[in-house]
Amino acid sequence: MPSTRRPSGDSRAWTEKTLPTHLGAIRAVEAELMARLLDLGYDEEHRFAVRLAIEEALVNAMKHGNRMDPSRQVRLRYCASPECVEISVADEGAGFDPAAVPDPTADENLRKPCGRGIMLMRAYMDEVSYSGSGQEVHMVKYRTP
Amino acid sequence: MAEASDIIQVADRDGVALVRIRSSAILSEAEVEAFGEALAALAEMPVRRIVVSFLGVHHLTSLVLGSLIRVKKLLAESGGDLRLADIEPHVYEMFTITRLDRMFRIFERGDEAVASFRSEAEA
Repeated sequence: MPSTRRPSGDSRAWTEKTLPTHLGAIRAVEAELMARLLDLGYDEEHRFAVRLAIEEALVNAMKHGNRMDPSRQVRLRYCASPECVEISVADEGAGFDPAAVPDPTADENLRKPCGRGIMLMRAYMDEVSYSGSGQEVHMVKYRTP
Repeated sequence: MAEASDIIQVADRDGVALVRIRSSAILSEAEVEAFGEALAALAEMPVRRIVVSFLGVHHLTSLVLGSLIRVKKLLAESGGDLRLADIEPHVYEMFTITRLDRMFRIFERGDEAVASFRSEAEA
């Protein structure tokens, strides 16, 4: 269920949602965040970046983390302010080592159809970090003129 | 499940299949699946030369990039090719970041991509 809360020591309002492991659940939360960014006056470039990153993070959590197991859930938290957008996505999978993900731009991987999500998230967001054993990704996009 | 005709429109240009995407964003699993399957179905037909036009498409995901790679490989096995066109700057950047701009031949306009196949056939 969606909720809005303020983590200890953080005066900003965070939105927290628990999503089923179903790719169809992504569009609604994505549209909600995009509407929020539009309200805050973020330009198209920022909105494109955040939309891509949240999409890739949620798809990764459901497909690779939860392995599309409908009994598992994905926890999404985000906070959009005039200065920046922060997003956390956590799955209930076994985790992974982000450093061990092959470089999709290497010649030997270029023709592989998978493995570009994390790279795109890193390219479009200003900060991308993983916690736990790789089950949770935290991303930040700063507003720049 | 989305139907292929909901996602793409295919026109025959003298033996080159020019594929236009109907939606401004291919995001949902059903859309990506339908897009990939529709292209793969084309690739299995006598059509060996396909151009995908991204005219009006403002957003993609890595799942779509994966679909394009699969179809290009499928076509390459029989001497065909998949070429891309009409990609707006934000979306094109995804191809450069992932270096897929080196894998695909990308044209500014769909008719240029179609013409590239024709000129090769005439050579």
